[in-house]
Amino acid sequence: MPSVAIEAQDLHFRYDGTSQEVLRGISFRVNEGESVGIVGPNGAGKSTLLLHMNGILPTSPDKSQAVRVFGLAITGENLFTIRQTVGLLFQDPDDQLFCATVYEDVAFGPSQFGYSGEKLVSVVESALAMVDLKGYENRSPHHLSIGEKQRVCLAGILACQPKVLVLDEPTHGLDPRGKQHLKTILHSLPATKLIATHDLELVVEMCSRTLLIDGGSLITDGPTLELLSDESLMLSHGLEKPHILRHRHPH
Amino acid sequence: MHHDFIDRYSRLESPIHRMPVGMKAAVTLAVVFTVVLAPPSWILFYVAAAIFLMIIAVLSRIPAGFLIRRIAFFELFVLVIALLALAQPGGGARFGAIILKSTLSLLTVLLLANTTPFNRIIGFLGRLHVPSAMITILALMYRYIFVLIDEAGRIQRARESRTFVRQRTRRWIMLASVLGRLFVRSTERAERIYDAMCARGWRQ
Repeated sequence: MPSVAIEAQDLHFRYDGTSQEVLRGISFRVNEGESVGIVGPNGAGKSTLLLHMNGILPTSPDKSQAVRVFGLAITGENLFTIRQTVGLLFQDPDDQLFCATVYEDVAFGPSQFGYSGEKLVSVVESALAMVDLKGYENRSPHHLSIGEKQRVCLAGILACQPKVLVLDEPTHGLDPRGKQHLKTILHSLPATKLIATHDLELVVEMCSRTLLIDGGSLITDGPTLELLSDESLMLSHGLEKPHILRHRHPH
Repeated sequence: MHHDFIDRYSRLESPIHRMPVGMKAAVTLAVVFTVVLAPPSWILFYVAAAIFLMIIAVLSRIPAGFLIRRIAFFELFVLVIALLALAQPGGGARFGAIILKSTLSLLTVLLLANTTPFNRIIGFLGRLHVPSAMITILALMYRYIFVLIDEAGRIQRARESRTFVRQRTRRWIMLASVLGRLFVRSTERAERIYDAMCARGWRQ
């Protein structure tokens, strides 16, 4: 039996000062080594859900025990262990690349987690090698293309050596070549993956299982091909049957 | 979009670029302070300072045209203050002194900024034990000023593409709303950046 990497149990969430719940009792499990897609229309609560995976939300983590990472509840004491275990890739690379050079940015995580000296350098170098950006150490983030920025963001997370990768729209704004490159890199990473996206082709290629979320509730949790091929289900939740499944013949 | 307003030539190859940051920062401070504090009657000192800075400018291979344009740009701000000095008795001399001192100081700082990448200046401040909150603010400012300029440009363009009449009052109203949007977007972005920092283990 593989161990459970992430477990959410009856997860509710409401932003301060609003009356409407953004997440209304979501429960699911992700086993170690699995790749799971999260799909749903705009405003379904995907990004909010992802922010719960390493304790960015709720803002005072002690109250909620709804999310567990490798059995560990997200509380004040083990918040930093969990943040090292779960790497979160944000949607806009400019939000995530906050340092002056690529090297500093990739080094930010590991240095927070206590790496220094030669060990820090080697962790950063190997993270940059994993995303094909060797030699970019001294470049400034504002001189990179979107695809390169996204890969630096990924390197910044990989440098923390997480066991779980939580990705919010990883292919957003990338051209087809950039997308392909990112997919190849993601395929090569053994970590457990949770990917929220509108890029349904990415889900088909990367994830064996998919969660469909709408209006803050989990609608279905099932095998990707089965779920995304159900045209009426997809249409009723503002999605569509992806092209690669449309032209696949039954024989 | 690519921006290099602050330090366009900071990554050139020259003997000045290769000098240690600490030495450059110390010389910059020394020149600026003596230029500001020296009495206007020390003409020879000012001539010497100007020649010294010109030698550095030539050695650093920064195009002269760039330095002149940059100084002219900042001189506009100086001019406003210098013009106020003209209103005083004996204002002419004072006006000259302000222009001379500010031009030399500007040139000195421009030379530092364009011979040293900003992150190395920040690193140097860190070694001087400048409080880390201050350094984080400076580093984030340098990182996001370009993002902000891009964002302002996009909002402005979107507005202009739907503006069909030229009216002065309307332009002011438009500018105000661009600034407002920019403020809201920046605050939201700041929150997201903070989340991203926390996600990678940042502790206050």
